[in-house]
Amino acid sequence: MGSVNQPDRNRLAAWKWATMAILLFVFIAGWYVPLNPGIIRVHPDKAVAGDSISLQITGYNSSFTTGDASARAWLRFEGDTVIKAYDVKVIDDRRVDARFYIPSAMPVSRDAYPLSLILDHKTDGSSVLPNALFVTPNPDPVASEEELWYQSGIDEIHEKEGIQYPFRNILAETIRNTYFHVPMWFSMIILFGVSAWYSLKYYRKGNMEDDRRSIAFVKVGLIFGVMGMITGMLWAKFTWNAYWSWDVKQNMSAIALLIYAALMVMRSSVEDDMQKARLSAGYNMFAFMLLIPLLFIIPRMADSLHPGNGGNPAMGGEDLDNTMRMIFYPAVIGWIMLGLWISQLVYRVDNLKETT
Amino acid sequence: MNKHITFYKFGRNLMKKSARAILILIALCTVRGVQAQDTAPDFMRSTGKIYVVAAVTIVILITLFIYLVILDRKISRLEKRHKNE
Repeated sequence: MGSVNQPDRNRLAAWKWATMAILLFVFIAGWYVPLNPGIIRVHPDKAVAGDSISLQITGYNSSFTTGDASARAWLRFEGDTVIKAYDVKVIDDRRVDARFYIPSAMPVSRDAYPLSLILDHKTDGSSVLPNALFVTPNPDPVASEEELWYQSGIDEIHEKEGIQYPFRNILAETIRNTYFHVPMWFSMIILFGVSAWYSLKYYRKGNMEDDRRSIAFVKVGLIFGVMGMITGMLWAKFTWNAYWSWDVKQNMSAIALLIYAALMVMRSSVEDDMQKARLSAGYNMFAFMLLIPLLFIIPRMADSLHPGNGGNPAMGGEDLDNTMRMIFYPAVIGWIMLGLWISQLVYRVDNLKETT
Repeated sequence: MNKHITFYKFGRNLMKKSARAILILIALCTVRGVQAQDTAPDFMRSTGKIYVVAAVTIVILITLFIYLVILDRKISRLEKRHKNE
């Protein structure tokens, strides 16, 4: 009974208090830090070269009327190839009308030109909407108008003051899921890793306690995997437009979960305790080895919608800025610690069940 | 003989559980499927899709609570057994 893993009845270990404090911080910061202002819609989204258009821009979380209620807007083809709006009118906090003349001659010859919209406001800072306007070429361009593309560069860009999360097109507020969905998988991997470690220990020493420990970690790891799967499907529904799009990352993580589910099924079908423990220890170590190609190698070799795969960066780049890191890293640590905590409880219960 | 009975019981239990899971999944899919095709932002897509974050948080909390209840019942059963001994 007096094992190292069973703390004094009346005192909760310091790391468990720390788990609660960290997760409390993650929930509060994850929910309360505001999102940077951004552009959610532009109307119209199609034009012909040579048109003079008025773009109705809808902002998110914006307050365009503060300050002198003025803004500047550009349509960008690439790099410094931009045209500036000749007139920008702020209507209210959420709406801005920008008037552009799109030159009839384009810098290069193509079938269509996707232009990004860049909006700059003194207090709101700058925001970008990629592929905001699709321009089709004019049948008879005026060659001299090509110069208009190079006359105004994007200068004096402002940045909003204070702490906020980046506004990303399509993601919008769901960028906060980074603190809830992603750490589920991190925790699952750590829990399965610890489990494989105890399996190895069981293999070497043959101590039944190690078998019970490794299975407790698998059970809780599976719970975290299922939570990661469900939260991922929900997130995918409103960003990729389907719960399940047969993406490599989705398929491979489903296979990984099934492999571990099979371990639990196998255990319940073996009668003899020693045989059960030996079989599951061997299986468990192989299952953990399989996680590496399934979750880290195969998804990176194919095209994937999921960040971090197929040339799609996740850590670093613009998806995780320094503000988000301040919450993301504690989130990962906090959720992992919670997983370890729950696993320890499950082990203690299972141990009591077997020994008393 | 004994082995067969336990395996049969296990199978029946698993079938019951999976049937329930599939039913819940179908219910969820139909509810969402009906309102998905709209061009105007629906409830889940309104206010910068903040309700997706709410749903994700709720899913995590509910799963953890369900697991807590299962663990609680396991401990109660142990206590009962302990008392009877």
